[in-house]
Amino acid sequence: MNTGKAHKSGLRVVASHSSLWGRFLQGDRHAFAEIYEAHIDDLFHYGMHFCQEKERVKDCLQDLFQDLWSSRAHLSPNVLHIRYYLLSSLRRRLLRALRKDRRYQHRESWEAFEFEYTLPQENQLIINETIAEQKRLLHKALSSLTRRQREAIYLRFFQNLRYDEVAEIMSMQVDSVYNTISKAIGLLKKQLPLPLLLLLLGK
Amino acid sequence: MDEDFQDWVLHPGQQNLFWETWLQQHPEKESIVNDARQLVQGIRFRAFSLTAADKEQLWEAVWNGLEETAPTAPVTISRWKHAWKYAAVLLLGIALGAAWWGIQAARRGQTILSTYTRLGETKAVQLPDGSIVTLNADSRLLYAVSGNAREVWLDGEAFFQVKHTANAQQFVVHTYDNLNVEVLGTQFNVNSKGKNIVVVLQQGSILLNITAPRQEKAAALYLRPGEMLTYNRTDGDYSKRSVAADTYTSWHTGRLTMDDYTLHDAAAFMQQVFGKKLIVSDTTLYNDKVSGSMPIIYNPDTMMTQLGKVFRMQFNQRGDEVWIHKK
Repeated sequence: MNTGKAHKSGLRVVASHSSLWGRFLQGDRHAFAEIYEAHIDDLFHYGMHFCQEKERVKDCLQDLFQDLWSSRAHLSPNVLHIRYYLLSSLRRRLLRALRKDRRYQHRESWEAFEFEYTLPQENQLIINETIAEQKRLLHKALSSLTRRQREAIYLRFFQNLRYDEVAEIMSMQVDSVYNTISKAIGLLKKQLPLPLLLLLLGK
Repeated sequence: MDEDFQDWVLHPGQQNLFWETWLQQHPEKESIVNDARQLVQGIRFRAFSLTAADKEQLWEAVWNGLEETAPTAPVTISRWKHAWKYAAVLLLGIALGAAWWGIQAARRGQTILSTYTRLGETKAVQLPDGSIVTLNADSRLLYAVSGNAREVWLDGEAFFQVKHTANAQQFVVHTYDNLNVEVLGTQFNVNSKGKNIVVVLQQGSILLNITAPRQEKAAALYLRPGEMLTYNRTDGDYSKRSVAADTYTSWHTGRLTMDDYTLHDAAAFMQQVFGKKLIVSDTTLYNDKVSGSMPIIYNPDTMMTQLGKVFRMQFNQRGDEVWIHKK
């Protein structure tokens, strides 16, 4: 299982200059709108996977963007990765909101970071009979992952964050993030029968 | 997996020349890429999305909440601009695709990484070997280690600070033309933005390999510090001359060095970095020259104001075009 390693030695951004963030800091409303537009869908998507409550996610997002604008004078001009910055802020806000709400204590939601699977059209025509079984197996494999594994995979691959950023957001060591993700992928490989893998990889 | 690759997988209709070209040069990778593509398309995270109305409402709520501090009218955003993008980006598949791709690459002892910059943006990245590559705006870089060579593919402009490795591993920069740069440890700039590919060596020594389809133009030549090679990508002609290397490389430290700098040069700069087209009403203005240096500000408006001052001219922007008049 080498996936962790393959990405471990990834490209590390050591400096970057981008006009968008700078314009935003100078109070450019268009830049603010651009940032909102560019990230709102991903932030909402993450928020919903995190707590499955639309209104709560929307409230946190509203606060997040309001605070972002009103505190822009105090923000670092060197925010290299806006998406990371926003995601980690959203996660903190959601956690804070959930902790206040007693109903949510100790609730381990299996819906969090849930996968969906659809087979490509061409395959559906070819192998119709086995398809239900295949899907069931895949679903079983995917849902056997823990919430933490799913969240780490989600942040790393869906939101494209670097491993150290995922670690920072989830308050984990970078090494444990590698382990979590490679274990999850190893688990999938083990659970999926060869024909299914071949079906996935074939064509 | 990196965004570029996802994007290419998810939007096959949109030509991503970078990946297509790369694939053409590496036909053996095709099955891996197809595998990844298959997976990427199959598995995804459950979709949650805000409707356009929700998004707008939320945006208004943000501004209403700010009203006391910011009494002016909010900026409106377009509803549809990015909709198609997000509709498609709902995937984990990436994870498995990436994993599989990664596994395959690892099996072959390879690491493949990539990064890119947009207009108005530069980025310095550190490669796993410790080398630092500064990408200028609107450029793409792919990095692979295979066996005993470190290889990068560059589309755009980059300044390389290549680290010499203990086992003297070769470092090769490929352009998407018949020009490769081979080095061990050194600092140089490669720009493949215009009709010429321009390589400028700041420090160390590099070997340029030109592999022309027609044998007589094929060549291998060394560059010494302060020398520049200009390679014409259309006809494969090339020439070498001595230059003040700093003029070509200082952008990576955030400065624009102007040495007999003309409006023509400024136009090329604005086009390359911000995608702005400079239009001059009176072409004789093109010959005005200035010398000196100034910081590069990654904001097209500020940069234009600065350049206007330097050239003592009026810069008026209309969309992506900039009209220049004598003051």
